[in-house]
Amino acid sequence: MSAAAIAERRFLQQQRCRILYRKALKSVLDWAVHRDIFYIEGEKTRLQFEANRDVQNLETIDRLLFEGEARLAKLQHPDPYVVPWSPGGSKYARNPPVPPVIGLVNDFGRESSH
Amino acid sequence: MRHAVRALHSCVLRRLQVQVQLDLPLKASVTPVTRWCRRMFSDEAHATHLDRGEVVARVLDVVKTHPKADPTKVTESASFQDVGLDSLDTVELVMSIEEEFAVAIPDAEADKISSCPEAIEYIASHPSAK
Repeated sequence: MSAAAIAERRFLQQQRCRILYRKALKSVLDWAVHRDIFYIEGEKTRLQFEANRDVQNLETIDRLLFEGEARLAKLQHPDPYVVPWSPGGSKYARNPPVPPVIGLVNDFGRESSH
Repeated sequence: MRHAVRALHSCVLRRLQVQVQLDLPLKASVTPVTRWCRRMFSDEAHATHLDRGEVVARVLDVVKTHPKADPTKVTESASFQDVGLDSLDTVELVMSIEEEFAVAIPDAEADKISSCPEAIEYIASHPSAK
């Protein structure tokens, strides 16, 4: 494989690793709501990633990423936290803005008196 | 005695009149919804962008309080690598920024944020950052 293809593959693997870490931390945060517990568990997750920091073989990295994603899929929370006003949250589009066409009629029924 | 008080009570109430003032405009009017009667429930739907100076101050605060960041190197134009963070620390930092401003950043966008100006730009242009 050419050097550019190898570099691109490594870049994609690094991106996959970052997204896996992000999802893992969010999953830990869903389970460990209390912050002091989250700090401890988040640190453990970080150590799991740090243990494989120096792996260079592309195939090994791919295998580790697949295994990590499979393990994470089992640990998903059934009711994850979403920011309420973000898409998927309970307050998303709850009170959409009133279109400016809508106005108040103050003399309904008495127009004939004018 | 009680009957007398009750009779007096009802006499007084029958005599009291409250003048009703009607403030309606005389012409036929369809007014646009005026500010005094609009209730502010739909603020999330309106784009309430934050003030840029405030965004900068808060983002830099979040970066400085990261345990592995060097506070002296944090400036508005620094990248997270300059500050001393590696890629996993950057992920943690972007999560802290999400929590600070109560926004939800999609994974693809969050991966692209790797410097202070990018983070500030994202938050300043987010419609529901608090």
